Amino acid sequence: MDEPEFRVVDPLRRFLWWFSPPAAIAVIGLILVLVTGHVTGPLKHITVVRAMLASKREFFEDEQVKRILMANGYQVQITPVGSFELAEKEDLDTFGFVFPSGQSAADRVRERRQGQHAIAFRPFFTPIVLATFREYADALVKAGVAEQQSTSLYYDLDVDKMVELIDSGALWSDQGLDNRNRIIAQSPDPCRTYSGAVYVGLVAFARYRHPPAGEAEAVKMGRELKPMFDAEGQHGEDMAPKYFVPEGRSFAPIAVIYEHQFLAHQIRELERNGRLDDQRVLLYPKAQHESAPELISLSPEGDEIGRLLMENADLRQRAVELGFHVLSPGGAPEIDFAGFLGQRGVPVPRSGSGNTETWLPANALLKKMIGEIGDCRW
Amino acid sequence: MPVVRLAVVLLLVLTACTANSPEQVRLSVLATSELADLGPVLADLRRDTGVELTMEYRGTVEAGTELANFDAAWLSTSRFLRLRGGEPALSTSTMLSPLVFGVKAGKAARLGEQPSWADIADHAAAGDLKFGMADPRVSGSGMAALVGVATAAAGTGAALRTADVRCDRIQGFLAGRAFDAPDVIEEFVRRQDDVDAVVAPESAILSLNASGRLREPLKVVYPRDGIVLADYPLMLLRPEKRDAYDRVTQWLRSPAAQQAIMDRTRRRPIDPAVARTGELAAPIGNPLYFPDSQEVLDRLLAAYDRAGTGRQIVFVLDYSKSMAGPRVEGLRQAFAALNGFDRFYVGETVTIVRFAGQVLDERSVTVTRKEDVDALLAVVASDDLREYTAIWSALDEAYRLVHGDASIVVMTDGENNAGLGLAEFLGRKRAAVPTYAIRFGEAGPGELGRVTAATGGRVVDASAKSLLEAVREIRGCR
Repeated sequence: MDEPEFRVVDPLRRFLWWFSPPAAIAVIGLILVLVTGHVTGPLKHITVVRAMLASKREFFEDEQVKRILMANGYQVQITPVGSFELAEKEDLDTFGFVFPSGQSAADRVRERRQGQHAIAFRPFFTPIVLATFREYADALVKAGVAEQQSTSLYYDLDVDKMVELIDSGALWSDQGLDNRNRIIAQSPDPCRTYSGAVYVGLVAFARYRHPPAGEAEAVKMGRELKPMFDAEGQHGEDMAPKYFVPEGRSFAPIAVIYEHQFLAHQIRELERNGRLDDQRVLLYPKAQHESAPELISLSPEGDEIGRLLMENADLRQRAVELGFHVLSPGGAPEIDFAGFLGQRGVPVPRSGSGNTETWLPANALLKKMIGEIGDCRW
Repeated sequence: MPVVRLAVVLLLVLTACTANSPEQVRLSVLATSELADLGPVLADLRRDTGVELTMEYRGTVEAGTELANFDAAWLSTSRFLRLRGGEPALSTSTMLSPLVFGVKAGKAARLGEQPSWADIADHAAAGDLKFGMADPRVSGSGMAALVGVATAAAGTGAALRTADVRCDRIQGFLAGRAFDAPDVIEEFVRRQDDVDAVVAPESAILSLNASGRLREPLKVVYPRDGIVLADYPLMLLRPEKRDAYDRVTQWLRSPAAQQAIMDRTRRRPIDPAVARTGELAAPIGNPLYFPDSQEVLDRLLAAYDRAGTGRQIVFVLDYSKSMAGPRVEGLRQAFAALNGFDRFYVGETVTIVRFAGQVLDERSVTVTRKEDVDALLAVVASDDLREYTAIWSALDEAYRLVHGDASIVVMTDGENNAGLGLAEFLGRKRAAVPTYAIRFGEAGPGELGRVTAATGGRVVDASAKSLLEAVREIRGCR
């Protein structure tokens, strides 16, 4: 039987014996993290800003945008909501900023915030377009409704003729495609989204050639347009995510989206596969509508986000890469958009950039018209 | 000792890495039954995000009434909630799967290369195709199937309106329904020897094929005229759970999770950048637009409930001499055109009364298979045309042959000039059976109009195109 053995242990030495190696690793790790600039968490204070956004949330959901904001001490928590709903939300005041997609919703937000903090920023703009697939665009060319631009991804759309074609009840199969569905474009819900509402305005102008003169006419136009929108069936909120999946044709052959969504997709395709997606193409309405969405800050933190969007070079560069036309504080286009696309190898669309918003009915009349078309809950 | 030391150091380092792992949270989720296959994915989700989803399973349609008791809902679609104005504000699509027919390979070959809903309805009505589908009152896939077949049957190329829902046109399709069990896949496995097909999401069919539980694998059929896609939105119901919800949706939409979902459940990624592999690389065809009205769905359900109640349709056909040539030819063509959505269907009783100066022939068949209908066509093909026209006597005979729920169709070109007179005919007491008349040439609308109107029916002019339309309308639900 062994004698019990006693050893004298120096507690400090024993502690260091165990403690030093992990401590060394922790220190090295910390240095690495500091050097690579990925410090977040407890080392730097991050302000979470709550925001309500419509289609422009894609910008804030972008990983690079998140990183840039984070590096500046901000994280945006997004509540996605259609522009019109956004403007009417009861808890509007609880958000740091809101970013509806179009002018009328922004006006309504300002109206509700009278006498309170409400500062507007216009960091970029993007037109509303009709996105489709190559064979459908070609069918529209054959039907005399669209014309290909000089570059392969873009077509000019004669909305007047398109509306005539839709009204006639024509089927895609009439144009030689293997699809017995009616020729229609699927728009987002006009009751809730700005792009859906603009599409109603676009179609109404094509049919009547003038905006409604008063409420009675707006109601009459809405009633007459209703069957065309009923044919689309149930409206969703944002058509883009479903348009870009490989199964996109099985959701809708033509979807009303924003130009930036399409360009961002093409830029991603180039980065990923080294070539453009030549199956997806855009139809540019000849009477164009450019939405210059306003970020409306409702708090000092919101002001900071707005300021970063207007001033931070990285964010502004990223906005271009995401397909937006970036505006200077004075409202003029700033970064050379065509130059950027050209340099990336994305064909440059020819889009009317004049002031063509005049055909869009005044907000109250447009809403009256839309109220006749959809079962709006406002 | 150094080994132990090294191990302890490693352990400390590793735990240090996960020391800031997110707070453990539990989310109660009301999920569509199909999502029971997500088990391994949810385990990974919990490991990576600290969020445990406790799933309770319901059908997507019935789930609408129970949302109040859960933190989140994960259904096959938000369409049904949206129709009732109850769609939650935060909703994130997570994956895709089209609703398809899984058809035994042998049967699929008989449906043709790329069958349409009409082809499927045609075979179902003829008793050639027995399928299982989920109950549309409970399940999103059952309801989507009903919407799909009714939209295709309406043939407008647009979303269904209330006026388009003509229940007769889906009765033939529904005649092929072998069961509507809550779990269609399990039920199909049990009954695979006597059922030919099952209506279910593509993911369920592909998984079933891979499971090795089938004696004959199923071919995935995407109806050529249009499919309905489910996008499985995860919807936040309790705003205070927002952080956990964000963690879950962000994780679910990450490329790695999307890949795992595809590999394990055979659903298609919502992320366009994740390449579809194997069977999922195939295109799935044209969309069917989803109706924007609860009333349309209610009508479809009413038609669904009525299906298979063994209706009778009695044709009273004029074979007098004046019908010779194009008229009797038109009548035969009208019968021959009754296929696809218009086919006489299994369980339907069809009675033909052929008459001239008297009843020449009567034949009654309750359809059990396609050959039964051929026998009826043989009666219509008869060249036995005779003198005189005894419309009221023939109609009187038709009423005698009616049992239960029925309608009567008279096809004639002449005035009554034999047998019972109108007054005598009208004087006889009988059950009210809706009666319609298809009028060829000079047949006077007056008397026919009186007789048909009294039963709730009407007179239809028989031009070449209207004949088929008339027969369709006549067979319609009342």
